[in-house]
Amino acid sequence: MTPILEFENIARSYTSGVPVLDGVSFALAPGEVVGLLGRNGAGKTTLIRIAMGMLYPHAGAVRVFGQSPIENAVAVKKRVGYVAEDQVLPPGSSIAELTALHRYLFPRWDHGLEAELLERFALKPEARIKSLSRGQARQVALLCAVCHRPELLILDEPAGGLDPAARREFLETSIQLLNREGSSILFSSHHMGDVERIGGRVVLLDGGKVRLDRDLDRLREDLCVAMLPRGSAPDSGTLERIPGCLHARPVFDDWHAVFEGAPEAVERRLNDSLGVNGTRCVRVPLEELFIEMVGSDR
Amino acid sequence: MLINPADELPIYRQIMRQITEAIAGGKLKSGDKLLSHRELSEQLVIAPLTVKKAYDELELLGFIETARGRGTFVAAKLPVPDPDADLERVRQTARRLLAQAYLAGMNFEQVREILADAHEHLIGTHKSEKEKA
Repeated sequence: MTPILEFENIARSYTSGVPVLDGVSFALAPGEVVGLLGRNGAGKTTLIRIAMGMLYPHAGAVRVFGQSPIENAVAVKKRVGYVAEDQVLPPGSSIAELTALHRYLFPRWDHGLEAELLERFALKPEARIKSLSRGQARQVALLCAVCHRPELLILDEPAGGLDPAARREFLETSIQLLNREGSSILFSSHHMGDVERIGGRVVLLDGGKVRLDRDLDRLREDLCVAMLPRGSAPDSGTLERIPGCLHARPVFDDWHAVFEGAPEAVERRLNDSLGVNGTRCVRVPLEELFIEMVGSDR
Repeated sequence: MLINPADELPIYRQIMRQITEAIAGGKLKSGDKLLSHRELSEQLVIAPLTVKKAYDELELLGFIETARGRGTFVAAKLPVPDPDADLERVRQTARRLLAQAYLAGMNFEQVREILADAHEHLIGTHKSEKEKA
C-alpha cells in the first residue's frame, strides 16, 4: 500500500548553514496517527513545512500520496488539511467570508460538517476574525482545514495557547474525522497527554534525527528508565554501549538511562554487567520518557 | 469508563482492565452489547485504533465476540478459567499486596477492610444499580 506521507532521508539547514534536519525518514500509513515530538527547535515545524511543499529539502525526498508536494502542489493540497503553528487568517474578513472562499476552493466541502462545527465551537458566522480570541481563531483554522474532509490532516502545535477545554474540543474534532473519514493525521505537540490520547505512534526528533519511532503502546511496555548511582559508570558512553540502551544522561548524583526491555530484566542485566547494586528500573509515562530522551544533563 | 494518560498502563490496557473488571463484578453479562469502536473512541476522546486494539485483545482472550454488522458483545461463553494457574496468580498477588501494606505500616485488619471495600466497589455498585432498575 502506498504510504499517505513519506519522508526519505530529509536534510535541511537554516540559511546560516546550521543543520536542522539531518537524514529524517518515516512514513504514515492510511488511517495512521503520528505524534511528532521534539524540543523547541528540533525541526518539527521545518519537517511539516517540507511535507506541505512550503520548503524544499536540501537532500532526500518527500512524497504525499506518492507525489511531490512541490511539483504537484494543487493535486496534493486538495487532499490535505493543514493548520500552521501561527496560522494567520485575514483579520478583516468574517468567518462566513472565509468559509465561502474555502467552499469555492474545495469542491468536496462538507456543508453539514461546517454547520456542525460552527455550532460546537459556538462561532458566529458574521464575526470578524480580528474580534476572535486566540482559541476561537484556532477553531476557525481547524474548521477550514477539516471541512473538505482531507485524507491527511497536518496540525502543527494544534493546542498551542489553548485552554484545556478548547484543547479537548480540538481533539474531539480530530477524532471524529478519524472515525468518519479514516483520515491520517500528523501532528506536533508538547502536550503528552494529548499525544497519548490520539496518537497511535510517536516520532521523536532530536539533533536532526529520528531518535524514536514506535507505537505508543509498545513505548510503555518495551521501554523503561534505569536509575543508577553515578559511580557505576565513568561516562554516559559506557552506559550507551550496553546493548538495549537508547540514551543516558547524568541527573544530579545518578545516571538516568532509557533501556529496551522490562524493568526487572534490565535491572538484572545492569547489576550483572556493571557489578553494582542499587539500580532501580521503572516504566514511565510518555512525558517522563520524553524528558529522559531529550532533557539536558543536570 | 475513565482513562488516564499518566497511568502506568497503556490506554488500550486501561480499557481492557475496566471491561474485564466489569465482567468479573457482574456489571457486564454474557450477551450485553458494548459500545462500538466509534462510540467509545468519541466518548473517551481517544484514537479509534486504540479502542480496536483493546477489543481485538479481549476477543482473542475470549471475553467478547463480534457479530458482523450487529456489534460487539460480551461472550456467551466466557473463557474457562484454569483453576490451578488462577489460584497461584491470586496467591502471588495477595503476597505482593500484603508486603506493600506492611511496608506502609498497615496491619492485617486494615488490609481486610481494604479488600472489603474493593469487593463492594466491584460487586456492590452492581447491586445498587440493579435496585435502581
